Amino acid sequence: MTTSVLDDQSPVNLSDSPWAVETHGLTKRFGDNVAVDDVELLVPRGCAFGYLGPNGAGKTTLIRVLLGLTHADAGTMSLLGYPVPRHRDVALARVGAIVDEPRFHGHLTGRQNLEILAAARERAARGRIDGSLERVGMTHRADDRVSKYSMGMRQRLGVAACLLGDPQLLILDEPMNGLDPAGMHEMRDMILSLVSEGRTVMLSSHLLDEVERTCDAVAIVDNGKVIRQGPISELLAGASVEVNVECSSPERARTILSATALGAQIDVETSGLSIHLAAGTGRDAIAEINRLLVEDGIAVYRLQEVQVSLESWFLQVTSRLGESE
Amino acid sequence: MTSDSGSALTATQAATPTSGAARDRRGSWIPTSTMITTRIMELRKRRGLMAALIVVNIGIPAIFLLVRLIAHAVAPKSYGPAGGYDIFTSLVAGVMYVFGFIVAATLGCTAGSVDLTDGMFRHLVITGRSRLALYFARIPAGLAIIVPMVAVGFTIVCAVCVFAAPTKLDYQGVPVPSGLSLTGFESWAAQHPKEAICGLPYRGGKNGPQVGVPCFIKQNGTVVILPGSSGFKHISPATEKADAVAIAKQNYLEYSRTFLYPSNSLMVKAGLWIELEAAIGFIVGLGLASLMGQRTVAVVLMIVLEIVLTPIFSRTAIPHLINVQRGLVGLATAHLEPGGLPRGIGGGGGGGPPLIPESTTVAVCVIVGWLVVWTALGAWRMSKRDA
Repeated sequence: MTTSVLDDQSPVNLSDSPWAVETHGLTKRFGDNVAVDDVELLVPRGCAFGYLGPNGAGKTTLIRVLLGLTHADAGTMSLLGYPVPRHRDVALARVGAIVDEPRFHGHLTGRQNLEILAAARERAARGRIDGSLERVGMTHRADDRVSKYSMGMRQRLGVAACLLGDPQLLILDEPMNGLDPAGMHEMRDMILSLVSEGRTVMLSSHLLDEVERTCDAVAIVDNGKVIRQGPISELLAGASVEVNVECSSPERARTILSATALGAQIDVETSGLSIHLAAGTGRDAIAEINRLLVEDGIAVYRLQEVQVSLESWFLQVTSRLGESE
Repeated sequence: MTSDSGSALTATQAATPTSGAARDRRGSWIPTSTMITTRIMELRKRRGLMAALIVVNIGIPAIFLLVRLIAHAVAPKSYGPAGGYDIFTSLVAGVMYVFGFIVAATLGCTAGSVDLTDGMFRHLVITGRSRLALYFARIPAGLAIIVPMVAVGFTIVCAVCVFAAPTKLDYQGVPVPSGLSLTGFESWAAQHPKEAICGLPYRGGKNGPQVGVPCFIKQNGTVVILPGSSGFKHISPATEKADAVAIAKQNYLEYSRTFLYPSNSLMVKAGLWIELEAAIGFIVGLGLASLMGQRTVAVVLMIVLEIVLTPIFSRTAIPHLINVQRGLVGLATAHLEPGGLPRGIGGGGGGGPPLIPESTTVAVCVIVGWLVVWTALGAWRMSKRDA
């Protein structure tokens, strides 16, 4: 890893950093495959941050590098303002994380597993075991062996393990995996409650709908690179505007609209048109479409602006869209 | 999952990261006592492994001695006493030494690999605790299990061998009082000349016994003169006594090494010796398994080392590989075997010269080298491994 400017500063002075996670030029290679490619990531403190990307995009690898589970090949990074790996012990003292599927000693109970993990943390961590179990709703099964737990219960135990350190930053890799709908709802509520306490939650997930409902900001990673990041509202505002039109003569309507200066991409569908206007196009453009069609004698039955979802925007900006076409 | 944080954790409980981490010295390579105790718990709760270790280390010698106790109680004339010096030396050098090593190596290999195979290593690394501390916590934890376990098995052997020892010494088939000095042994021979002449071996010689009576001692201790012989009729009592004393003198060295039960000194030395062997097995197994990242192959390699490679290299001196042979930890440990125990695999015990010449200093250096190198390799791999 290259020498960081941050490395020269003391951890005490850096703890006031506005970023919970900060990476610059972070790179991780596996042979010829670049899993994390020059990643510049800024995760603000006190928010829920989604880290999204297609399978194999390098989400888990980035998390593993951040947590010191594997080394980076280049770049700098810091957690809660502490440069890692130099101040890894100080930084991770207030970080909780689940990476991949949470696994524990199957022959021990959930509580005993947490005792082992608490022993590796500060003394106060042992006193947080009951509170953590209660918070994830595992108190009644805490004294059962983990080998008897379902996937969802292990996921909850993993979150309880994260809470042992009373973390300022939680990094959750696919936290909804294995949870039933009620469990996902509870997990979402818990993440929101953690954020409301001033903690930062960074989560990676394939469930874009869940992320949209949970997170304030996201970063999109594709082929190891962060291609977009920022607050969800701002990112979606930059997406193209889609307008669906049901009309009497779709082919003629397309010809009319194509001749205008709207600069739209127009697809003909069975009952009408699907029009993609450039990002930032005002609502006046929709009225203009209606006016042009009506003036040329085309009957407009329905004209609807489609609300851009995180999922559709995600597909627009990632290479996955190209693959599906 | 409850979102109510009333009784659970809240951010306001959080200490500053700097103060918390500084207090628990998380970056230090020295493990905390809590880390060690929880590691002991993790190993101790492996019921199958613990049961197997107890059966091998305690059960086998205990059952062997129990069967002997019962057999002797039921038919004392057919079956000798359960304990005694010979049983002790055989069990310690032949069974507990080898099995203690294998048991300890199995525990070491388990301790060195389970965090990886169970997926806990990742959780532990994320705590920010030094990986070296995570590794070093396993050493006292494993020893805290294996040392008492070996001690219990050894204590049972010692207790039975002392308290169920024969009441009379059976030296060369002749019932003789035990623990006699040379003078006392000669005095006993003078008082029992026929037993000494007929029962004890003698080599003749210029000042040796002159009598040539064809006789032997029966199992019940009575002297039997072979038919056709005139026996002791034409031998004067003074000659008989003189010859018996001469024979006793010839036999004293061997007699002095024959005991009813092991001495306290021997038991302490033997106990420390098998504990050393067990500790070596555990620490080397821990390092090997940590290096390999898995248990099964590591256990197999440790067993091969102990019961295949070490005996082979101890019995065959290969000139070009003599230093390699000296570098085997099994041979080095055997060189430290207490005198009075039969040689197990070619070490220096049992009164005979070692098969592969090696000084005690070199043997100690080899043992220390194995412990340091395997610990360093295991710790290095753990600190560099992707979690």
